[in-house]
Amino acid sequence: MKTGENVILHLENITKKFGKVTAIDQVTLSVKAGERIVIIGPSGSGKSTLLRAVNILEEIDHGRIFFKGDPVGYTAIKGKQILDSPKNISRLRSKIGMVFQNFNLFPHMTVLANIMEGPVTVLKKTKNEAEKTARDMLKKVDLSDKWQVYPATLSGGQKQRVAIARALAMNPEIMLFDEPTSALDPELVGEVFNTILSLAKEGMTMIIVTHHMGFAREVADRVVFMEKGAMVAEAPPEKFFSACMENKRIADFIQNIL
Amino acid sequence: MVKQGVIHIHRSMGRVILYALLCLAFFPSLTTAAVSDPASVFSAANNFIAAGDYQKAIETLGAIPKPDPNTSGSDFVKSRIQTASLYHALKQTKKAQAACHDVLELFPDNKEARNFLIALKKEEIPFYILFFRDCTRFLPSLLKGAVLTLALTFLTMVISPLGGLFIALGRMSRFKSFAGLCWFIIWFFRGTPLLLQLFFIYYGLPALGITFSPFTAAIIGLSLNYSAYLGEIIRGGIESIGHGQMEAAKAIGMTYTQAMRRVIIPQTYKRLLPPIGNEFIALIKDTALVSTIAMVELMRSADQMFNTYFNVNVLIIAAMVYLAFTTVFTLVFERIEKKVGAYENR
Ligand SMILES: Nc1ncnc2c1ncn2[C@@H]1O[C@H](COP(=O)(O)OP(=O)(O)OP(=O)(O)O)[C@@H](O)[C@H]1O
Ligand SMILES: [Mg+2]
Repeated sequence: MKTGENVILHLENITKKFGKVTAIDQVTLSVKAGERIVIIGPSGSGKSTLLRAVNILEEIDHGRIFFKGDPVGYTAIKGKQILDSPKNISRLRSKIGMVFQNFNLFPHMTVLANIMEGPVTVLKKTKNEAEKTARDMLKKVDLSDKWQVYPATLSGGQKQRVAIARALAMNPEIMLFDEPTSALDPELVGEVFNTILSLAKEGMTMIIVTHHMGFAREVADRVVFMEKGAMVAEAPPEKFFSACMENKRIADFIQNIL
Repeated sequence: MVKQGVIHIHRSMGRVILYALLCLAFFPSLTTAAVSDPASVFSAANNFIAAGDYQKAIETLGAIPKPDPNTSGSDFVKSRIQTASLYHALKQTKKAQAACHDVLELFPDNKEARNFLIALKKEEIPFYILFFRDCTRFLPSLLKGAVLTLALTFLTMVISPLGGLFIALGRMSRFKSFAGLCWFIIWFFRGTPLLLQLFFIYYGLPALGITFSPFTAAIIGLSLNYSAYLGEIIRGGIESIGHGQMEAAKAIGMTYTQAMRRVIIPQTYKRLLPPIGNEFIALIKDTALVSTIAMVELMRSADQMFNTYFNVNVLIIAAMVYLAFTTVFTLVFERIEKKVGAYENR
């Protein structure tokens, strides 16, 4: 590992193909502790696949992934990379929080049980400990009064905040957000962004995929633009939204969104 | 018509018969006058009976009067009893009873009249009382068989969902040969009759040196068959749960097994209960098939008793026991469904 001590995640030359489609094309990216990366790019440019590759929900074809300095997810045997044991992969995932576009809450569990599930089943915490954590997390996402309802009764924005609380309850080193607001009605987008912003203030490391340029500008330390699986540009937001606009494709993309 | 036919065919005999019939026609009026001659009354009545005219016979017998208290009255008794039998033959139970009572009024100890009344009373018993009697008569042995039916049902109900889950997960397994084996089990046990499977296990396997008691063979056959069916149902249920659920479970660090146990399978319960309930109701009835491998369960004991007594009520009672089982089962399952499905309505 060549980069600095405080690097949480380092992706080195990772490539992922689906048949002929190259979903991720030799991407290299480092994320330091407390850093907020926003990934933007047109549909099909590989943003989701990149996030999923980070916690091995997608198996990459080439490249290496380092987590806090250690190579993770794959072991090299006779020059070939093979997937790590399920146990090791699960352990890695428990340290990486992921928030999905469609929330994916567990519909058969109450809000509180959703948040307690990881700590109890994966971290083997006691029910009492887990419940305390869960209530703290609910407070954090401002949903303390909803602890005993089932997800079906919540609004989209509330669901996504519960999903964030569920991920946070694992005390992750880094959070991955894959278009956390794109399944929401416009008036509910704000509450989710505010939750993410308050996490940012607390110093949480995160990678966020979003189409909201205003939010990207507000939350990001660095903005990454992806196209056809490759990282085309990467810069701090002020620089990105000025200098990178000289790149016609990026300018067109942002123009289309706004 | 008949008379004409007789006359035409037996020309020589015709006149004689016609004569006899005429005599018979006038006989009652003749005998009514001859009050004091019971013998002729009885013979006249017998003639009417022989001719099939029971009504006339009854009228004739009516000529025998109530006897004086100091005479034996045997003719009177005889005439009333005969009247009663004639009414009985005419299905006029009330009048038959009245005739018997006529006798008992004068001769309260008369056995014949008494027995006749008792017999008549029995015939008067409504069908539901008789059915109830049959119930008390047949139900104990039927219930003995039903205990076995329930034992077979419950054991299979415990084993087959586990077997079904195993087969379902097996079919989705990454290990191709194991998935193939599970496919084969489903293919074989859903593709052949249960009856054949039971025969094979009980009568066929001993040829290969594997012998089972009828009960073990029945449990093995039923469980394998129902595991195969439930396996496909459970697999459908698991595959109907969105892929996002597995990913979310994995994303918080769950292993495949933990995700299945805690997240995926519990969500299939509500969807699986109705089809599994249907299978179990079919199972209650399918246990009847094990009667063919020497198990005396409900169907077999009903069959045995029906062949002994030729009483249809046996079959009706057996049907009622099966219906009681399936009804209770349906109600219980509906209850469970409501409880399990609660989170989707809250
Ligand atoms: N499971 C898969 N099988 C085959 N192809 C896939 C699969 N997942 C993604 N792809 C392809 O990989 C490419 C990148 O997809 P990805 O979902 O990462 O894009 P994206 O940038 O997240 O797009 P969007 O903005 O629409 O979410 C696309 O061409 C997509 O069709
Ligand atoms: Mg995407």
